[in-house]
Amino acid sequence: MEPFDLFSMREAYNRQQIMLCFNGPISRSLIEEIGNALRNYLEADHAHPSAAMDVFSVYIEMTQNIRHYAAQKGWQEQEAAATVVIARDEAGRYVVSAGNMVDAADGAGLLAKVESLAGLDKAQLKAIYKEQLRKPRDGSASTGAGLGLIDIARKASEPLLASMRPLNQDRAFISLRAVI
Amino acid sequence: MSDFSIPRSQSTPAIQGKWSEGVLSMQGDSYPENSYELFHQVFEWVERFLQDAGRPLTLELHLLYLNTSSIKAMMDIFDLLEAAHHAGQPVAVNWHYDKRNERVADLAEEFKEDCTFPFAIVGF
Repeated sequence: MEPFDLFSMREAYNRQQIMLCFNGPISRSLIEEIGNALRNYLEADHAHPSAAMDVFSVYIEMTQNIRHYAAQKGWQEQEAAATVVIARDEAGRYVVSAGNMVDAADGAGLLAKVESLAGLDKAQLKAIYKEQLRKPRDGSASTGAGLGLIDIARKASEPLLASMRPLNQDRAFISLRAVI
Repeated sequence: MSDFSIPRSQSTPAIQGKWSEGVLSMQGDSYPENSYELFHQVFEWVERFLQDAGRPLTLELHLLYLNTSSIKAMMDIFDLLEAAHHAGQPVAVNWHYDKRNERVADLAEEFKEDCTFPFAIVGF
């Protein structure tokens, strides 16, 4: 096996202004621990308390959505894997990205949903958020019942970006990106 | 009836229900993966208080960040208060927030929009 070139990994992370990244199975406690680190970084970075809360909130909704999805599919803990990157863009805005494996059909559904949200302004997003909040829960009462994605869109300063790459016949890897 | 108290954890707020005083208080962040586990006991306490206590109920909230599943759970609790208010029972919410973080006030404001009982958003 080729040794890891940690130096060039570090160079790439620095060049892309990546504050924090993670790849692998993500547990409930790991979400909390990474979240804690994220909060500390944001504070050290002198992020405004409101901006820091938005970044943290988008990170939580994305990662918990991934966990809820895997649980709903009845997948094992190992399959509840996520790739998470929190970075800053050229303009200094925070960018939260997360990706995970999905059934291809579900991935297509998510892409369509992200696209439909992209056409809405803040007032329209608020209206569908409130509508979703009022909908009775279906099945388990544990999740945010479809509020997460709308909430992420409301906190983003530009439309969310989603993309999908096929992994095999049935499964794909989906990526979601929010600029705060 | 009974008081109850739940200590704060990394992702859940501290919660105290004081039956004789008619006060339910919460402090901290709320972003557990499963908010139902946490909030169903709060919901049941509020429901029981409104049925049996025959006294006003006040919520003193020092909540900061709520994930969407906690927001959904809080909405259910506010709906109980709203129904009690319509039935003529005195209920109130005081949501306290640090003025340096207006996101908390925004969050409280969105809840308030759907409530007709006294709902104060108090900056400190």
